[in-house]
Amino acid sequence: MLRFVLRRSGSALILMVVVSFVAFMLIFAAGDPAVKLAGEAGSAADAARIRAFYGFDQPIYLQFLHWIGAALHGNLGHSLYFDQPVSAILFDRLGTTLLLGLVSFIFALAISLPLGIAAARWQNTWIDRTALIVAVIGQAMPTFWFALLLVVMFSVIWPILPTSGSETWRHFIMPSVVLGYFAAPAIMRLTRSGMILALETDYVRTARALGIAPRKVLLKYALRNAVIPVVSVSAAQFGYMLAGSVVVESVFAINGAGRLAWESILRSDLPTVQALVLCFSLIYVILTFVADVLNAWLDPRMRLADARA
Amino acid sequence: MLLDVQDLTIDIPTASGVLHAVQGISFSVDEGETLCIVGESGCGKSLTALAVMDLLPRRAIRAATSLAFSGRDLRGLSREAMNRLRGDRIAMIFQEPMTSLNPVFTIGDQMIDVLRQHRKVSRREARDRAVYLLDKVGISSPEARLAQYPHQLSGGLRQRVMIAMALMCDPKLILADEPTTALDVTIQAELLRLLMALQQEFGMGLVLITHDLGIVSRMADKVAVMYAGQIVESGTAETIFNDPLHPYTQGLMACLPAPERQRMQHLKAIPGAVPALVGAIEGCRFRGRCAHAQPVCERDVALREPAGAHPYRCVLPAETSRDNARAVLGAGA
Ligand SMILES: Nc1ncnc2c1ncn2[C@@H]1O[C@H](COP(=O)(O)OP(=O)(O)OP(=O)(O)O)[C@@H](O)[C@H]1O
Ligand code: SF4
Ligand SMILES: [Mg+2]
Repeated sequence: MLRFVLRRSGSALILMVVVSFVAFMLIFAAGDPAVKLAGEAGSAADAARIRAFYGFDQPIYLQFLHWIGAALHGNLGHSLYFDQPVSAILFDRLGTTLLLGLVSFIFALAISLPLGIAAARWQNTWIDRTALIVAVIGQAMPTFWFALLLVVMFSVIWPILPTSGSETWRHFIMPSVVLGYFAAPAIMRLTRSGMILALETDYVRTARALGIAPRKVLLKYALRNAVIPVVSVSAAQFGYMLAGSVVVESVFAINGAGRLAWESILRSDLPTVQALVLCFSLIYVILTFVADVLNAWLDPRMRLADARA
Repeated sequence: MLLDVQDLTIDIPTASGVLHAVQGISFSVDEGETLCIVGESGCGKSLTALAVMDLLPRRAIRAATSLAFSGRDLRGLSREAMNRLRGDRIAMIFQEPMTSLNPVFTIGDQMIDVLRQHRKVSRREARDRAVYLLDKVGISSPEARLAQYPHQLSGGLRQRVMIAMALMCDPKLILADEPTTALDVTIQAELLRLLMALQQEFGMGLVLITHDLGIVSRMADKVAVMYAGQIVESGTAETIFNDPLHPYTQGLMACLPAPERQRMQHLKAIPGAVPALVGAIEGCRFRGRCAHAQPVCERDVALREPAGAHPYRCVLPAETSRDNARAVLGAGA
């Protein structure tokens, strides 16, 4: 298991470097950054000075090393909009978004896993059909629309929850429900189909033939097998949720990284966008890594196959 | 009587009508006794075993005039009571060693679960029992095996583990559904010897399901020959092998390699196919393949036991059957 973790951390690290480089190159995507920074009124001399000041005249790989070195020290450059270091704004915002993501994710798992298991256990009954309806609605409803629906219901018609901000835990309820419900259907459908397959396997029949209690057959013998593909999809859903946070944070006026990303793009605040892309990408890499390790822990075949390779 | 089954019927509703998979079969097993149920693929052997275990597919309908284990009627048992019996007093071994063990738990974990499900014992004690049984079924370094996963073992070893698992609670009855069919011939023989030795040591009743009459001849005390959901002949192993009365049994025996013939010789098979069992069926199920079929065979044929013979399901008088047997199997039969 340790060997597996080390091996996977190695590939995750390589992936991180690649991703960082892509994020770094982003600054050149919109054309010569020096010309942009100099502004429309700036002369060619201004641009040249800026180029020298920011080091844009150096070879790309040197610039990259310089940038990544600074990033490792927590220096992500200077925001063009806020006139302060990107790091000063970013980490606070990122924390808010990750908290929102985590709460939403827990909410998503809390509804999708039990519902998926129950739908499989009582396949083709009203429980299964209810679960299907819940999933289809979750998949079909646009995030912003569901968010507005909740606001109308719980802040306007029956005002028990705050509409905007992120000061208390109560501010997080509606955004988390919206984000979580967005991620839940995929996890639920996969849990259901995995459980249905697992419940029909020979090893579940063996467990039954040996008198293992039905609850244990369901929640140990079948679930442990069914949940393996769910882990990878859950990690991907967590990623989608971070993307979805752009919309949700805007609707609920939460000062998170999603909203910051959206606004920074509008403001052409390239260093901030670059730092955000870097952070989000790294979170993806870490999520994938965690999913891999979790899967290896759940499935001995995976970690042994990997050890042999 | 350890297990007594009378008039067991299994119907499975399907899209094209009711499948009469098993039609009124009766058999019994005593402690220390081996009953072999033998018959071609699809004749209802597995369903019969699953019916005893109450593990039939959900749609299947089971009926019987008696289904008693150690004098307890299994028919009226609650789901919980049946679950307590399974794995404890009655255990089952399946045909598929590669897929019958859970791939994500260790051998030890799965074995310990069985004992702790039925007995109030510590993990330590359950572990010791698992080690003892792994050793018993001929697995070397059992301690180390406990930490292994099924995919790390060969098919033969997995089936040994299955047997050890079935023995965890010291059951009175084992139902073994073609336990060696998926394995190499050499491993098959070893496993069968093991099964027989364990059965004798622990004094268990054994229902061994197989389609291989060769296995029957080595293992059985009693034999029930099944064809298309019915028992067509039953008796002690001795009577069945020395005095086969049903044309189907005779056909099966003609397929057996005789000792004087070479082992490598290809086995003959009985020509023809088993009839569909969907909807109403009339007459002898075997008549489509029987060399002695005659008009009376189109009416239902009962399992009968004339004087001087054992039960068989055929209109031919015992003497005629014996003449046929001599013709098919040669002198000595
Ligand atoms: N779940 C099911 N649904 C419908 N039909 C079934 C089901 N299980 C078994 N059958 C049918 O019932 C009949 C008996 O099946 P069974 O599995 O008992 O045969 P078997 O004698 O064990 O054969 P084999 O030697 O191939 O294992 C077969 O015709 C089979 O197609
Ligand atoms: S009853 Fe008739 S068809 Fe059936 S086995 Fe006997 S002779 Fe053959
Ligand atoms: Mg079978």
